[in-house]
Amino acid sequence: MAFGKFLLKRSLQGVLVVWGVVTVLFGLRAVTPGDPVNLIVDPAVDHETRERIRQELGLDQPIYVQYFEYLQDLLVGDLGYSYQSSRPVTTMVIERVPATLELALAATVVALVIAIPLGVISGTRRNEPADYGATSFSLVGISTPNFWLGIMLILLLAVQLDVFPTGRRPVAFHDALWMFLTTFYVGDLLTWFHHIILPAVTLGTYFTALITRLTRSGMLDEYGKPYVTATQAKGIPETLVRYKHVLRNTMIPIITVLGLQLGTLIGGAVVTETVFSWPGLGLRLIAAIHNLDWPLIQGIIIFVGISYVIINIAVDAIYAKLNPRVLDE
Amino acid sequence: MISDRIKSNLRQEFKTSLLPKVGLVILIAIVFMALFAPVLATHNPNTTGHFDDGNAYPPIGVSYDSYEVVDGEREPYTVEFSSDHYLGTNNVGQDVFSRLLYGARTSLLVGVLGTGLAVLMGVPFGLVSGYYGGRVDDAMMRVADVMLAFPSLVLALALIGVFGSMSIPVPDPIVTAGFAEGMPAATTLPGTVTLVVGLVTWVWFARVARGEAMAIRNEEYVKAARSLGASNATILLKHVLPNSLTPVIVLATIQVAAIILLESSLSYLGFSGTTLSWGYEIQQGQDYLRTAWWVSTVPGIGIVLSVISINLLGDWLRDSLDPNIEGEGGGA
Amino acid sequence: MKGADNLYSGRRSVLKATGIIGATAGLGAIAGCLDDPTDDENGDTDELVITQGEFIENPDPNDHITGPYFNVLDPVYEPLFNVTPEFEFESRIVEEWEDTDEGAELTLRDDVVFHNGDEMTAEDVAYTFNRMIDPDLGIESDQAAGLGAIESAEALDETTVLLEHDVAPSLAEFEYANYGRVVNEEWIEEQEQPVAGDDEEAFNGTGPYQVVEYEPDVQLVLEPFEDYWGEEATFERVVFNEDGESSGRVNALQTGESDIVDNVIPEDVPDVDDEDGIEIRNETSLRNVFLVMNTGVEPFDSMEFRQALNYAVDNEGIVNDILGGYGEPMTQPIPDGVFGHNPDLEPYEQDLEQAEELIEESGYAGEEITLYAPEGRYLNDADVAQTAADQIDQLENVDCELDIVPFPDISDANSAPYDDDEMPFYLIGWGVITGDSDYGLAPFFTEEAPQETYRNEEISEMIFESQTIEDEDEREELLQEINEQLRDDAAWVYLHSQDSVYGVREDLEWEPRTDEDIHLWEIDS
Repeated sequence: MAFGKFLLKRSLQGVLVVWGVVTVLFGLRAVTPGDPVNLIVDPAVDHETRERIRQELGLDQPIYVQYFEYLQDLLVGDLGYSYQSSRPVTTMVIERVPATLELALAATVVALVIAIPLGVISGTRRNEPADYGATSFSLVGISTPNFWLGIMLILLLAVQLDVFPTGRRPVAFHDALWMFLTTFYVGDLLTWFHHIILPAVTLGTYFTALITRLTRSGMLDEYGKPYVTATQAKGIPETLVRYKHVLRNTMIPIITVLGLQLGTLIGGAVVTETVFSWPGLGLRLIAAIHNLDWPLIQGIIIFVGISYVIINIAVDAIYAKLNPRVLDE
Repeated sequence: MISDRIKSNLRQEFKTSLLPKVGLVILIAIVFMALFAPVLATHNPNTTGHFDDGNAYPPIGVSYDSYEVVDGEREPYTVEFSSDHYLGTNNVGQDVFSRLLYGARTSLLVGVLGTGLAVLMGVPFGLVSGYYGGRVDDAMMRVADVMLAFPSLVLALALIGVFGSMSIPVPDPIVTAGFAEGMPAATTLPGTVTLVVGLVTWVWFARVARGEAMAIRNEEYVKAARSLGASNATILLKHVLPNSLTPVIVLATIQVAAIILLESSLSYLGFSGTTLSWGYEIQQGQDYLRTAWWVSTVPGIGIVLSVISINLLGDWLRDSLDPNIEGEGGGA
Repeated sequence: MKGADNLYSGRRSVLKATGIIGATAGLGAIAGCLDDPTDDENGDTDELVITQGEFIENPDPNDHITGPYFNVLDPVYEPLFNVTPEFEFESRIVEEWEDTDEGAELTLRDDVVFHNGDEMTAEDVAYTFNRMIDPDLGIESDQAAGLGAIESAEALDETTVLLEHDVAPSLAEFEYANYGRVVNEEWIEEQEQPVAGDDEEAFNGTGPYQVVEYEPDVQLVLEPFEDYWGEEATFERVVFNEDGESSGRVNALQTGESDIVDNVIPEDVPDVDDEDGIEIRNETSLRNVFLVMNTGVEPFDSMEFRQALNYAVDNEGIVNDILGGYGEPMTQPIPDGVFGHNPDLEPYEQDLEQAEELIEESGYAGEEITLYAPEGRYLNDADVAQTAADQIDQLENVDCELDIVPFPDISDANSAPYDDDEMPFYLIGWGVITGDSDYGLAPFFTEEAPQETYRNEEISEMIFESQTIEDEDEREELLQEINEQLRDDAAWVYLHSQDSVYGVREDLEWEPRTDEDIHLWEIDS
C-alpha cells in the first residue's frame, strides 16, 4: 500500500470515529435528566417565557431534527452557545487551547529531558544502584495520582518554602514571547516560566516514569541484538553505539506508546489544571460539568476527540515512515 | 487455562524477586484494613466535632499555631495533638485514621467491582468480534475506536453528568452482627462512579480478548471442533474463552490499580458519591495546607501504597506469563 | 436568582473557570527595559487590582444578578441610584423620583453620555427596563425576577421615565433602585442578545470608567472615561480578575499582585493577619445559609419533626468551628439589619433530648433522610453540611446521610414545588440584598411562589398583605410577626448568616458593605 493511500484510509476512519464521538455525545445529552431551560433562566421566570426559550433553542423539536441541525452547524465550526454565559462555544474552546497546549508541551519536555537519560543509565547499568533508583522512581511515578503529587508540591515548595506560586497563569506564553521579541523585556517570560514549573512537573511525572521504563527495557532489548555486538566488534566506541543505534531503535516503541497514552495526558491535564487554577480547557470542562452546561461540555469533548484522532493519525503516519513494513499489513 | 508451566513460572518469579513479596504484603495489609475497618477504626468516620477549641487535632507528635474564637474574638492559640486521634482530625473534626481505613473500602470496592464490570462487558464483545472477524469485527472495532477517542477521565466526567448521583448503601455485616458499636451501619458504594469506571475501561478488555480470539480461531483443534459440528457458542465458551483468560487476568490486575487512580481523580474533582473516599479527603484538605497539612497528605499515601502494591503484583504476573497487552495507564 | 445563586465561590475553582492576569502582566511594558513599568508592588496608588472568586460570565449588564458581577460592571454601567451602606437611595443618574397614581416617575440628569459618545435619554432608560421585564423585547434577564413589581416603563419626555406598578411605593423603589443599569438602545440592538462579545468593544455604559481590555473569564481592565458627567475617577487604571481558590487569592494579595481580594476563608485568615501591609476586613452580610425542607413531603410535613432538626443542629458551634467565628447564628428567615427583622427572637439552642422527644411525637421515629448540599457555593458549605448532617444523625431515632451534588441540582430542587420529593432536604443560601424582608419571604412562603418550600395559607396571606401596606411602622410590625411565626413553625433548619471576609491592602480607605458590593467610588487610596 502506498503511503498516500494509507493516509487516506486512516483519515476516512478518523472522520467516521469523529462522527461516532459526536453521536455518542449527542445521545448522552439527550438522555440526561433535567430541564436545560432551568439552567438558562432564573427559577422565578414564568411558564410562557420558558416555553418561548425552549422554542428559540429548538428544544421543542424532535430529537432527530435537533441532531441533524447540530451536525450541520458542526460542519461549519459552530458548536452552539453556552447555557451559562451565552457566549459561542467555539470561541470558548479556542481561547482555552493555548493554556492547555503550553501545559501539555511543557510536561512532555519535562518527561523527555528527565526520562531518556534516566532510562539510558538504568538500561546500561542493569542491577546497579543507579538502576534500582531509576526503577523505584518509575514505579512510584506511575502509581502516584497527579493531583496529589501537585498538592504535595504546593505544600512543600509554595506554602512551606515559598519558592513557587500556588498556581495561576499571569501571562500567556505567546504574549510573553511577543513582548520579549518586540521590546527585549524578559520579565513576562520569567513570570510564565516560574508559574508553569510546578504544573508541568505534576503532569509530566507519570510520563517521566513511563518513558524511563520504556527506555530501560528498550535498551536492554537492543543490547541483546546481534548488530550491537557486531558494531562493538568493529571497534566503534561504545558510547557512540549506545546513543546512535540503540537509542534510535528504542525510540520507535516510545513514540507509539506516547501516542496511545495521549488520553492519559489529556485526562491528567484536566486534573492538573484544577489543582493549579490553570485556565485551560480542562478547568473549563470541569466548570461546565458542574454547571451542567451541555453545549459547552459537548463542544470541549468533541474538540478533544477530534484532536486525539488527528494526533493518532499523525503518530501512525510517523510510525509508517519509520517502519514501512506497516504499510503492507 | 492455567497450565503447569505457567504455575511454575509464577512460582519461579515470585521466589527470585523481592518485589512481588513486598507488593503482596502491602496489599494484604490494605485489604485487611478495608475488611475490618469497623473494628480497627477508633472513631465513627462520619462523626464531626473532634476539635480542640474549633481547631483540628494534628497527628501524634505534631503541634501547630492557630487561633480560637472567644466571645467572637480570635485569640492566638497553640494546638497540641491528642492521643485519641493517631493521625489527627480534619477540618470538620473527623478522625483521619478512621477515615483512612474506610477510604480503603471505597477504593478497593470501586476498583474490583469496576474492573469486574469492564471484564463482563469487554471480554464477550472482544471474543465475538475476534472470532467472527470480517464485517462483524469491523463494525465492533469502529465502536471500540470511538470509545478510545475519549480520554477515559474525560468520558467518565461526561457520563457522570448523565447518570447523576447514585449512592448505594451496603449494610456492613460486622456492624450488623454487633462487633463494632457506633460505626456506620452501612458502607456507601458510589454507584455512579463504579458504573462509569467500568464503562470507560471495558474497551481494553475487548481488544485483548479479540486478539486472543483471532489467534485461536485458526488453530487446528478449533477447526476440528467446528467440523465435528460444535456450535459457535460452544466453541467460544469451551475453547476460546479459557485460552484468553491469562492475558485478561494480567490486564484486570493492572486495571484495578488504574481504576483506583481514576476513582480518586473523580472524587478529587468533586464527583465522589461518598465523602468516605481518599480523593474527596485530599480535595477537602487542599484548603488547609497552610495549617492542617495532614488532611491531604495521609489519604494520598493510602492511594500510592495501594496502587504500588497492585502494580508490583501486576508486573510479577506479566513477567511470568508474558502476554502481549496494552492498556491505558492511570496517570490521571 | 440573586439570592441563591450566590457570591461565595470558595475552594472549588471548578465552579468557575479561573485565571488571573497579574498587575505586572501585559500592555504597559513597551520601553524595552527590565523593570516592568506597570509594577504596582511599591504601593503605586494609580492602579487598583481586585481579585474575586467569581467573574462576569458575559458583558451584558442586564443579564446577571449576583453581586460579583455588579462589582465588575458597575464602574462601566453605573447604577441609576447610589445605594448607601444603610440602604438609603441617593440620586445619581436619577435626580428626583416620586410615586404618583400611575407609578414611579423618575427624573433623569440631562448630561449623561455613553462611552461611544451618544447622549443618554429617557428612551434609553425606559428601553432598559422593558428589555429586562418584557420577554418580547429583549433578553431573558435573570434580573426580571428582581423586578417582579414593575409592569412597564415609558419615556414621558426627554428626562422623565414612568415605571408602572401596583405595589407599595417603597417596595417598587427597592426594585428599580437596585436593578437599573442603563444601556444604549441603538447600540444594544446591534449586538448579540445578550451581549456576549469577547473584547473591549462589547461594553458601552455611562459609568466613570471605560473598558480598555477584556479577556473573558480572566480579566477586565478599566481606565477613566473622560466625558463622565460626575466626579473624576480615583484610579488611572483598575483591573478586575478572577481566582476561584481562596489560597490563590491570598497568594495574589501577599505578592502584591492584587489590592483587594474577596472571600478569604477562615483558614487563610491568619496568613493575611501575619503579613505586613495587608489586613483582613470583614462585615456581616445579608446572606443566610439554611436547610430547606419541602414541607409537602413526609416526614417534613410534621412541625415537630422540623423543630427536632432545628434542636439537633448546633448552629452556634458551626459558626465557631467551621466558619472561624465569621458568621451569626440565624434566629429567623431574615438576617439582622434587614427591614422587618425581629430583634426579640433567639436561635434554637442545641438540645438533643428534646429533639429526640419531638421526633417521637411527630410519629416519624426511625426515619432515614438525606441532606443534599453544594460545594464551593457558600463559605465552607460542604463542611457546614457535613457537620449538620452528622449532628442530625447523632439522634437515636433518625438517620441522616449527606450527598454532595452539583449546584444546578440544588437550584433545580429550589425551583421544584414544595411537595416535590426528589430532593426534599437541601442546603442553600439566600441574600436579602434589597434590605427588605419581602425579598427573603415572598419567594419561599407565598402560595405558588417560585421557591415555595413551606405552605401555610395564613402566612402567605400576611405576606401579600405586607406588600400593600404604605405605613412603614405598620408594615415592619407585620413583617416581624411573620418572621416570628416562621421561626416557631421551623419552616427551615436555620443555620447562620455568613460574614464577608476581604483581604485588603492596609493603606486603602475602604469599608466592606453588608450587601457585599464593592463600589470603586467608595475606595480611596
